[in-house]
Amino acid sequence: MSASLGKGVNVLKEVIDAPIASYFASCVHCGMCAEACLFYTETGDPKYTPIHKLEPLRRIYKQEFTILGRLAKLIGLAKAVTDDELEEWKELVYNSCTLCARCSLICPVGNDIVYMVRKFREGMALSGHAPEDIINATRRTIEIGSPMGVKLPAVKAQMGHIQTDTGLQVPLDQEGAEYMVLLSSMEIINFPEYLSAIAKIMKQAGKSWTLCSTAFEATNSGIQVGVSDLAKVIVSRIVDGAERLKVKTVISPECGHAYTALRWDGPNLIGRPYTFQVQHILEVLDEFRAQGLLKTEGFEEDRLTFHDPCQLVRRGGVIEQPRTLMKLVAKNFVEMPDPGKMNWCCGGGGGTSAIEDAKDLRLEAFKRKKSQLEAVKPDRMVTACANCRITLEEGLEHYQMDIPVVGLTEVIAEHLAQPAQAKS
Amino acid sequence: MAISNDNEFKTALNKLTVAQQRQVASRFVGNVLPLCKDARVSGAVTAARREDITDSELAALFQAAKSASVESFTQCGREADWLAQAGHFVAEAAMACVKAAEAGDNLAWDAGMSARMARTCETIAGGAGTENQEADAQYRILTEFLKQ
Repeated sequence: MSASLGKGVNVLKEVIDAPIASYFASCVHCGMCAEACLFYTETGDPKYTPIHKLEPLRRIYKQEFTILGRLAKLIGLAKAVTDDELEEWKELVYNSCTLCARCSLICPVGNDIVYMVRKFREGMALSGHAPEDIINATRRTIEIGSPMGVKLPAVKAQMGHIQTDTGLQVPLDQEGAEYMVLLSSMEIINFPEYLSAIAKIMKQAGKSWTLCSTAFEATNSGIQVGVSDLAKVIVSRIVDGAERLKVKTVISPECGHAYTALRWDGPNLIGRPYTFQVQHILEVLDEFRAQGLLKTEGFEEDRLTFHDPCQLVRRGGVIEQPRTLMKLVAKNFVEMPDPGKMNWCCGGGGGTSAIEDAKDLRLEAFKRKKSQLEAVKPDRMVTACANCRITLEEGLEHYQMDIPVVGLTEVIAEHLAQPAQAKS
Repeated sequence: MAISNDNEFKTALNKLTVAQQRQVASRFVGNVLPLCKDARVSGAVTAARREDITDSELAALFQAAKSASVESFTQCGREADWLAQAGHFVAEAAMACVKAAEAGDNLAWDAGMSARMARTCETIAGGAGTENQEADAQYRILTEFLKQ
């Protein structure tokens, strides 16, 4: 057994906590998780059955934590987990799992399969079987502050661009601001219109807000690759920034995994509660609406649908807010089949979009989204995750479907009621 | 009158017809076109200057420019190549040149902003700071156009 494998197997033993042991013990082998996974439904390959993706972990559980398994191991009848096997499983644990949690939701005995996959990833990372692309993204986050290598000057450049575009100031390091706005690197690089929309919305709502020079990045590839220590470092940066600026609320951007990492994993990673609140931007927008601070005018006339980011609906319960916001500005809003908490993943979450050799499989899995779209034939698709947005664009382009994809925050910003003076 | 700030710039652009906006937009994009090597993009920008361009031609050119734009997105988690990203924004700007115009659209403004983003990406890639003169260049381009 190689040193890294030994370490990985030891980690796998350690990650088998009470929930995981009970999940393995209670699995009834019904196969319902297969039908919940778009990598299985779109390829028909049984190796993509979610519970099967955990087979090496299950064997370690059996050999280490069950009497029969221990006996079998003792007399040499148990098959040990090997380096080659973990290498083979890399595709199943990373490329073909977006951590979308549809399998967890559908499991009749309540097994949180995604929790198990994430724990499995911890062992995979420590035994040297994590994909190079996600490792590099995590390294860049630790060293530079962004998985995509975005540095503060680039953020400042975008701030300048937005100030020109909108005539509004983008505050940086404003102590005592009510909201600290985080961005994903994707929004800095590909979608500057998100920050532009935030500036307009905050102006109308009359709220104080700021970016933080030491914590502008929201995404946490430490969670995706499966290294809790690094995930903690990344979360701690945001916590330090928010506490230094004494903000009341940190706004997670249009990014699904950033929201899960910061809102649900963060306090556990740092071992204490936050001194501030964390909300996804859609939660904030809906709150503004309810408080009468978000005033819109006019409607989109074309047929719009909404793609639910998995982490928002299945991990965060942010289901009604986007629909309320959509109806605020869209006359012709249609739901795809399986909307809300049962929505199908775009195929790019959980770090898979960063993995170069996962592209073909991702496009194969996109057939599910394609069929959802064909069922309702929208003119445009709205979403609230920059990673979903790129993955959707990629899939639509591949299948020659002419459906523009836009972010909900920017759609709302385009409909902000103009003051009478501005209208004249 | 020489245009010297964004207020004057936007006001002047708003007064242009859609055909004129395409003309100006293509000039804005032309100024940053060396940042993009994609023939679909240069083709769209060149065609946008034609006064006899048809709606079906515009639709085909838009689709081609859009393909170039989608293919040049930086994927989540990949290391940003700011020069390549400059090319992406040139493609975005080209899309504005050949987009089917709807009420309230300011195609030239959209093209101009994406062209500025392209230049910003170039300066980030160069590591020489983030200030750039693209806005001034666009003021000059528009001033010259209005004199014609």
